[in-house]
Amino acid sequence: MKTAQAGTLESMDCIVSVTESDKGRGISIVMEGASVARFGEAMVKATKDTLRSLGVRDISVSIQDNGAIDLVLKARVEAAVRRLAGGNAA
Amino acid sequence: MRLRRTKLYLPGNNPNMLLRGHLFNPDGVILDLEDAVAMSEKDSARILVRDVLKRGDFGSCEVTVRINAMDTEFWRKDIETVVPCGIDGIRIPKVEDPKDIAIMDEALSHIESKAKIRVGKTLIFCLLESALGIWRAYDIAKASKRVAAICPGGEDLRADLKTTRSSNSEELIGPRRMVVLAAHAAGVDALDTVFTDIIDDAGLRRETEWVKQLGYQGKSVIHPNQIPIIHDVFTPTAKEIEQAKKIVEAAAEAAARGLGAVQVDGKMVDKPVVKRAEFTLQRAGLRAGGDK
Repeated sequence: MKTAQAGTLESMDCIVSVTESDKGRGISIVMEGASVARFGEAMVKATKDTLRSLGVRDISVSIQDNGAIDLVLKARVEAAVRRLAGGNAA
Repeated sequence: MRLRRTKLYLPGNNPNMLLRGHLFNPDGVILDLEDAVAMSEKDSARILVRDVLKRGDFGSCEVTVRINAMDTEFWRKDIETVVPCGIDGIRIPKVEDPKDIAIMDEALSHIESKAKIRVGKTLIFCLLESALGIWRAYDIAKASKRVAAICPGGEDLRADLKTTRSSNSEELIGPRRMVVLAAHAAGVDALDTVFTDIIDDAGLRRETEWVKQLGYQGKSVIHPNQIPIIHDVFTPTAKEIEQAKKIVEAAAEAAARGLGAVQVDGKMVDKPVVKRAEFTLQRAGLRAGGDK
């Protein structure tokens, strides 16, 4: 399975790893980090919104968070997905 | 005149600095896609910078992005990504050829027009980091109406001059003088390079006082702690402001009475002195003026 990653574990950042999934498997998200207990729901929504806007339906996402706000999480998800697709991001 | 005493570099792949840099109150921020970003991270930094720009929370800072040099594969994608966000300007590294500025002007116009941004809004700040760039400083500054400032390089310039850093940066005296002369001849700002020793406050103050005396309007900054020192040097003292007010008021009064000569505190004051007094008030934020 192809995997790609973006981000760092610096303060206010996160590492997003994405792995291809078979068609029809949908989106699965695993998260760990300090903010997950409080903001996990919002993080799932931000991730799913970004994947939807990129037209991704089947993917496995792993997020290691170190205090990333929505904007940063979304940017890292987009970068990881574009890397997975093999294209140059942005 | 836009105050450009300090322009703080913010590494383009560092969310913490990108989101908080403006809180240190520099006059401007430079979101850096060039040297602060590893080659393998150019793509993700570009996305992050784009989204931070879209958020648009930079207080009153002038917002610029240092793009990758025009001899790399990245620069077009850089401007296509950041210019539609409505930034104040781009900082181009390693400029050597006025023709490149003309090419950039055209590329920016195309992007602005497509993004429904006023054509000409995005200013250009040129980094002159080689002997050839310094030599052509005036032509580069005049290559587009967008050029707002030219800036001498530091380490890259030293390397190109086949020299090394000395304790008082003696090796950059000539280039700094050439850039400030070219900038004022072309009617753009001269902005100085960074002071890299972030714990040498006395050295930073000394260098800033020197470049201010040469005619520079500000410096690039790599650490927030450097900002108050540089602002202090570039901000007129209460005594200077008081004297400038007197001169400007006396000049206005003389003009209203149809007199050419102005007298302040028993001394005759001529036009250049009035101009300098007006500039002091601009620096103190007490008078508008300038164009870019």
